[in-house]
Amino acid sequence: MQPRFQAMEIARHESNIFFIRIFGDSSRIFANAAFTRADAYYHSGYYPTIFDNNEAFKTPHMAEDTGAVASHNEGEETAFMGQPRDWLDAFSRRFIPNRHTHLDQGGPADDLRSSSQVREILPWLDLATQMNPQDIRTYLVISFWLRTDLNQASEAEHVLRGGLRENPGNPQLLFELGRIYFEDYHDPARARSIYEAGVRSWALEKPKIPMVVRLKYDNSTFDDRFVFEQLEVHLAQLEGSLGNREAAIVHLEQAKLASPDSDALQKMIDQLKQGHP
Amino acid sequence: MRNVFAVAGIVIKELYRRKDFYVLFILTIIICLVMGSITVFNDTDIIRYVKDLCLLLIWVSSLIIAITTTARQIPAEKEQRTLLPLLAKPLSRTQLIFGKFLGCWVVCGLALLCFYIFFGALAASREHHWPLLNYAQAAFLHWMALGVIVAMSLLGSLVFAAPSSNSTICFSIVAAILCIGRYLDLFAVRMQEPGRSLVYSIYYALPPLEIPFGLRDRIIHDWPPVDWPSVGLLALYLLAYMLFFLIAACLIFRRKAVN
Amino acid sequence: MSSGEVFGFLGPNGAGKTTTMNVLLGFVQPTSGAASLFGIDVRQPIARRRIGYLPELTYYYKFLTAEELLRFYAKIFGLPGPERERRIDETLKLVELESARKRLIKTYSKGMQQRIGLAQALINNPDLLILDEPTSGLDPLGRMKVRDIIQRLKNEGKTVFFSSHEMGEVETVCDRVAIIASGDLKAAGSVEQVMKGHASLEKAFLNVIGYQN
Repeated sequence: MQPRFQAMEIARHESNIFFIRIFGDSSRIFANAAFTRADAYYHSGYYPTIFDNNEAFKTPHMAEDTGAVASHNEGEETAFMGQPRDWLDAFSRRFIPNRHTHLDQGGPADDLRSSSQVREILPWLDLATQMNPQDIRTYLVISFWLRTDLNQASEAEHVLRGGLRENPGNPQLLFELGRIYFEDYHDPARARSIYEAGVRSWALEKPKIPMVVRLKYDNSTFDDRFVFEQLEVHLAQLEGSLGNREAAIVHLEQAKLASPDSDALQKMIDQLKQGHP
Repeated sequence: MRNVFAVAGIVIKELYRRKDFYVLFILTIIICLVMGSITVFNDTDIIRYVKDLCLLLIWVSSLIIAITTTARQIPAEKEQRTLLPLLAKPLSRTQLIFGKFLGCWVVCGLALLCFYIFFGALAASREHHWPLLNYAQAAFLHWMALGVIVAMSLLGSLVFAAPSSNSTICFSIVAAILCIGRYLDLFAVRMQEPGRSLVYSIYYALPPLEIPFGLRDRIIHDWPPVDWPSVGLLALYLLAYMLFFLIAACLIFRRKAVN
Repeated sequence: MSSGEVFGFLGPNGAGKTTTMNVLLGFVQPTSGAASLFGIDVRQPIARRRIGYLPELTYYYKFLTAEELLRFYAKIFGLPGPERERRIDETLKLVELESARKRLIKTYSKGMQQRIGLAQALINNPDLLILDEPTSGLDPLGRMKVRDIIQRLKNEGKTVFFSSHEMGEVETVCDRVAIIASGDLKAAGSVEQVMKGHASLEKAFLNVIGYQN
C-alpha cells in the first residue's frame, strides 16, 4: 500500500482541506488532542489527564525540549497526580505508567541506546498537521526530532516546507529551516538568507509597529519576542562560526532587545569583542 | 458442575457458529494492517500508534462480544422457547445462570486469545521482541474485567425487558467507568451533600474496570510488567464483583416465572 | 396418577392445562398447595430426573444438530458416555431421524422438529412422560406415529401424562382422563367412567364443561 500512500502525499494539501471541510473549526480541537497525545507518547503514557494538575505540562515537553518553543511550565512535572487520594487510587497507580521519563532519554527502560524511540510521537504530530495546518509548533516539533534524534534532515526539511506552504513566511518555520541548512547541510550562505528572511517576516507581521517598540515587554507576547531572539542568536552563531565577529555582535545586540536574560548575551558579546569565538 | 459445563459448552458452540466474532476479528485485522502499512516520514519502525489502535479495537470488540453475547442468552432462550425443555431437565436455575456465565466468559477468553496473538504478531513484526509476560498480564486482567461485564450483563438480562436495552445500559455503564471511573471522587469532593455521599458510594461500589483498561499504556510503551501480587489482588477483587452479580442474578431468576 | 398408565388431561383453551404442567415442572410457583413427582417436591431439580417433557411449541437450538442436542440433554441427565451414545442412537431411530442426525435443526421441517422434541423427551428413558399436545400441527401420518410411540411406551410400563384436543386420540390411547375447566377439576376417571351416559368422549367433555347445545 506504500506507493498508494506516496501518491496521496501529493494531494496532502487537498486532504488538509478535506479534514477542515468535514470537521470545520473543530478540526483544531482534534489537532490539539493529537498534539497532546504525541506528548503523552513522549512521556511513555505517564501524562496528566484533564483531572490532574497539568501546570508543568502547559507547554508540551516534546516541544519545550526542542528549544524552538517558549516554555510556560510551572510546578513539579513528576507530581501531577499528587498523593494517592485513597486506597483505591493508590492501588490503581500500580497498573499505569508511574514515572516521569522522556523518550529521547530512553523511555521507561532509561536505555539511551534506544533514544530514537522518539519516532513514536511522529504519527500523532503528522495527524495534527493535517487537522490544523496553521499550528506552527507542530511543524517545529516534527522537524526538530527528525533532524536531531532520527537523523532525517531531508524529511525535516520536507515537513517545514510543507508548513511554509500553509503558512507562507512564518518566521518560526524559517528559523527551523535555517537551522537545517546550517547545522545539517552545512550551507551557511543559504542558512543566513533563510534566517534573514525570517527576521524580515517577523517584522512584517506587524509592519506599523517599530521593532524597538514591539520588543518592549508591554507591547508583545513572550513568544513573539522569543522568536526574534532565537533568529538573532542563531544568526550571531552563524556569523561567529564564519569569523564575522562584527556581524555576530550586531545580531547579539539585537537579540538583547528581546531576551529576558540579557546578561548572558552581553557575556557572549564581551567574549567576541575580546576575540574569543 | 457437569450441568454447568454442559450449558457452557452450548454457549461456546453458539459463538463459533455465529458470525459476530469473525466479523469483528477480521475488521480489527484489516484496520490494524492498513494502519500498520502506513509509513510516517519513511520510518518503518514506528509501531506504538498501531499498538494503541489495535488494543483499543480489541477492547471495543471484546466489549461488543461480551455484552451482546451475554445480553441475549436468557431472553433468546425465552423467545425461542428453548428455556422450557431445558428447565424441564434436572438442571437448577442457579446451574443455568452459572453455565451461561461460564460459557460467555470462556467465549470472551477464546476471542481474547485470538486478538492478543494477532496483536503480539503485529507488534513483533516491527519491534522484534516478545514481552510475553506483559501480554499475558494484560490479557489475563482484560479477561477478568470481561468476566465482571459478562456477569453484569447477565444480571441485566433478567432485570431489563429487552436485550437491546440491557446492551445499551451495559455499554453506557462500562464506557462511563472506563472514562471517568477513577475520577468520580474528584467530582464528589466538589459537591454538596447528599450528592457527595451518593457519588462517593458509586465511586467505591463500581467495579474497577478502568484498571485493566489502563494497563494498555504499559503495553504500548514497553513498561515492565506489574508485580504479580498486585495482579492477583486485582483478579480477586474482580472475582468478588463477578460473584456478587451472579448471586444477584440467581436470586432474581429463582423467583421469575419462565412460562 | 398410577404408574404405567396413560393419562389424558383435557380442557378447553385457557382451562389451565399448560399451567398445571408448568407447576409440575417447576416453571411457575403454585398460588396454593403443593405438587410432587415420585414423592419429591417439584421445586427440587432432582424431581425431574425421571421425567421427559415435550412442550406444545417445540423449538430447539437452531445452531445444533439433532445429535448435539440430544448429547447436551443426555449430559444434563448424567448419562455416562457409552450409554449416552447408545440412547442417542435408540431415540433417533425411534423417531426416525437417523438420516438427519447431523443436520442443523434450523433446516428441519415442523414435523421433524416435533420428532426431535419427542426424542429429547425420551433421551433419559424416563419413567414419566409429560406431553403437552404432542400431535399439535402434525399431519395424520405424524399423529399416527406419535400414538404408536405412546402405545409402545405404555407397553414398556412407562407412565404418560398428556394433554390434547383430539378426543378420538384420547379415547384410543388413554386409560384414565381428567377434564378441567377454568382451573377446576370437573371430572376424572377411566375413559368409560367419564363417557358414561354419552355417545362419545367429545359429548361427555362438552357436557362436563357446561356447553349447552
